[in-house]
Amino acid sequence: MRIGILLSYSFLLLATAAGAQTPGCDHVLRGRVIDDHDGTTLGFAHVVLVGAARNTATDEQGRFTFEGLCAGRYLLRFSHVGCITREKELLLTGDTTVTLHLEHHVVEFNEVEVAAARPDEHVGQAHVQVDKAEMEKRGGSGLAEMVAHLPGVSVLRTGPTIGKPVIHGLSGNRVLTLNQGVRQEDQQWGSEHAPSLDPLSSDRITVVKGAASVQYGADAMGGVVITEPVELPVKAGLSGELRAMGGSNGRGGGGNGLLQGGVKGVQGLGWRMQGSGRYFGDQQAPGYVLSNTGLRESGGSAAIGWRNPRQGVQLYYSLFERDLGILRAAHIGNLTDLRNAIASGRPWYTAPFSYELDVPRQQVRHQLAKAEARRFLSERDQLVFTYAFQLDERQEFDMRRGGRSNTPALDLRLRTHTGDLVLKHYLSDRIHGKFGASGTHQENVNVPGTGVRPLIPNYRKRSAGLFLLEHVDLRDHLELAAGARIGGAVLDVFTHNSAQEFITPRHEFLNHALSAGLNWSIRDSLRLRTNISTAFRPPHVSELYSEGLHHGSAAIEIGDAALGSERAVKGTVDLEAIALKGRLRMDVTLHASHIAGYIHLRPDGYRLTIRGAFPEFRYVATDVRMHGVDASAEWTFLPRWALRSRLSVVRARDLLAGTWLFQMPADRMENSLVFRTDRAGTWRGIELAVTGTEVWRQSRVPEGLDFMDPPKAYRLIGLSASIARPLGQGELRIGMEGYNLLNAAYRDYLDRFRYYADARGTDLTLWVRYAFGRK
Amino acid sequence: MNTTLRIPMVLLIGATVLAGCKKDGDDPATPTPPVNEEELITDMYILFHDDDGNTYEWHASSDEGFHHEHGEGGEHEHEGELHIHGDDLPANKQLHAEIILLNRSVSPADTISHEVLDEGADHQFFFIAEDVDITFAYEDADDNGRPIGLLSGWQTGASGSGHVEVILRHQPNKEAAGVSGGDITNAGGVTDLSVEFPAVIQ
Repeated sequence: MRIGILLSYSFLLLATAAGAQTPGCDHVLRGRVIDDHDGTTLGFAHVVLVGAARNTATDEQGRFTFEGLCAGRYLLRFSHVGCITREKELLLTGDTTVTLHLEHHVVEFNEVEVAAARPDEHVGQAHVQVDKAEMEKRGGSGLAEMVAHLPGVSVLRTGPTIGKPVIHGLSGNRVLTLNQGVRQEDQQWGSEHAPSLDPLSSDRITVVKGAASVQYGADAMGGVVITEPVELPVKAGLSGELRAMGGSNGRGGGGNGLLQGGVKGVQGLGWRMQGSGRYFGDQQAPGYVLSNTGLRESGGSAAIGWRNPRQGVQLYYSLFERDLGILRAAHIGNLTDLRNAIASGRPWYTAPFSYELDVPRQQVRHQLAKAEARRFLSERDQLVFTYAFQLDERQEFDMRRGGRSNTPALDLRLRTHTGDLVLKHYLSDRIHGKFGASGTHQENVNVPGTGVRPLIPNYRKRSAGLFLLEHVDLRDHLELAAGARIGGAVLDVFTHNSAQEFITPRHEFLNHALSAGLNWSIRDSLRLRTNISTAFRPPHVSELYSEGLHHGSAAIEIGDAALGSERAVKGTVDLEAIALKGRLRMDVTLHASHIAGYIHLRPDGYRLTIRGAFPEFRYVATDVRMHGVDASAEWTFLPRWALRSRLSVVRARDLLAGTWLFQMPADRMENSLVFRTDRAGTWRGIELAVTGTEVWRQSRVPEGLDFMDPPKAYRLIGLSASIARPLGQGELRIGMEGYNLLNAAYRDYLDRFRYYADARGTDLTLWVRYAFGRK
Repeated sequence: MNTTLRIPMVLLIGATVLAGCKKDGDDPATPTPPVNEEELITDMYILFHDDDGNTYEWHASSDEGFHHEHGEGGEHEHEGELHIHGDDLPANKQLHAEIILLNRSVSPADTISHEVLDEGADHQFFFIAEDVDITFAYEDADDNGRPIGLLSGWQTGASGSGHVEVILRHQPNKEAAGVSGGDITNAGGVTDLSVEFPAVIQ
């Protein structure tokens, strides 16, 4: 009975797949998953047959079976709570039995990345992942779009091409982005630009949905978006992949390529090169062109690393450039223009489709150079040192008179140096942890020559932190973690006050964070993760010193230099259950948080100027209470057929004002009908899904803060299909994605351009990927 | 242990070198002096003359953008920022109006109306009378023969008092219905100026 429950729904898929057998496709793959550390079997390990779109979980004895497989090359990916995900490639020519080794709680030397190298990085924290296959489907979009379908995650948009992830209602610099194990600093500049990184340079995205300042430092209040880096090869041999995609909306496309290998004769030396680009014209809404929303993106990265069982070193460099147009109709002059735009219900400017990028437009460039060294001090203890330098440049070009449109109205350069030293240690077989020190030196400079007063002044920020995080395995099915961090920051601002005198105010912030969590396998079919953590965020310079007109929202924003750090405490409970003999999988996350000193903009009357009236907003602090639920379920109701549902609900109250909090995501539910089959002729790994996304109207909004009522509820229909086949030495995968198939006209509450235009209409994307060579 | 230390040392030295590679103007501690907003319009003059040689003047000036008082208490503290002054206009007269736009935040003051004239096809003034009897006619044209409004004719009617709203739109659609005739309804574009003058006809 118990074993039956353990079986994942994919067993049922298999059972029917056997009914549609073709000759040569009746092989059975059996295996066991064993803990390398003590030789015990690992029950409830997750085993994925990549490429065949099959997955299963091991039973109590660590066993798993895939039946009805065609001969060919497969990639097995397997993981377990508290272990590093591993992959094994195998050539199937007949019935095969494999033994898979996972290292439980022992960090391998060849896990190069800080972010991926820890055992269970987020004990007790609710977290979700987007794997490579899922990322590929959404390869035509940015980071925010790739995680947007996850329960509890939404997107804060500024028009159709700028999006940033929102976790449990928090976004911007309340959500940390960790790219290649390094804090992505470009989010320091406000909400109207997306994280400057190419998500496809990573293999997997992990979204942590709890407060995580202990591990990641300031800003990780709502959660962390981690683009997990890929391990470098250690053995000689070349491998790579090529990918191309084209989309109907915006009439553009993109591609990326990756090549990696080891070096013959030098064991442990590996390299990787990767490049990508995207090129799109104006996006299309139902009924009109969203003029000036084209996009160009290009990026590349190179990594080289060497390691042996005692030590390793890695160098990494990446460059990412994005040049995009901002919806022309979103550029307005004053409050009257904004009211006219809302009243007309249509953008005031539309032009025939074009690839041109006109003003207003923004140009960003992100460069990251990273060096990492690690050394094993004993069999299990290791010391990891990471240094990273980030250079972020941002230029914005506005509609200006007198031929100034080619002179940036905003020209910022942000330099960030970070250094981290982490000691991973074992106090005993059951107690292990990390002790770390980190330091950051950041300088923001307004490049002269804009002819416009800067919105964000020059500043220098230095911060340092110390943290300790310990894990205890109480019994085999109970793991506890607790940690603490202390962090200080000194912020020097260099600016001119209203009387044009040069002032150099200094702000000092001292913060601490605590966390405690547990993973508990109550039964093999029921797992509980719970965590309570605190997080902090010192106010951003713009919240302290902003003073001026914000184009796009036609609002005057005024900072308050007396603001202090935000302090959050967040608790999450995550329950994962498997029922109906594996045919039903459920995951429910409950979360609640309290943020003291939550900084937000509050309306403060109107200012009458020669350009007309402008609403004035001031940065003020309040206390906020938030709670919500994310749920997902997948029910295999017939062999090969499954229903998948995902639900996100967040509620947030401004406790001092006694109102709802502004700009919180509306309730959302996504329902998919999924068809999966292992093969059809020479094709394999066939997956087809039709998805309906239901977004309710956000009725919980503060009175009198917005210029427009929240948009109506909407429903979108999407389609996703992919299929694969072996080709030569590699695998060819082809897929299609359909977005907003019914071309529904809608506006989203979290879109800052909802005042001006509808969101984008139907988009059909075709993609093809070819992977070759040995990993 | 030696190599353990050596690698971080090399990285640190590299970091220092990188940190040292700075271009001019990259030191945050020496920001450029306060930038005077180049395109700011601080003053709008409407200079009237009639055929008899009488002159009248309307003037609006704004502190916005280069001077700001921090005061106590919210809503009213900025009220004084827009200063408006206007001569009374004579009744039943044909007046010729010329608009001059200045940026006084730079020294010497910049005449922004020259930029408007240079980019005439991208600009248009609109005049809207409320509770006062004035009819407007454009007396200038851009390269396409469509009005700009830097020069206009104002035909005043009977005595009375009300308001005249003067609006400058950047990149209006001058081809849309009624726009070249002075109707702002379909003009679109971005508002660069919007001032409501109290108007008295004597």
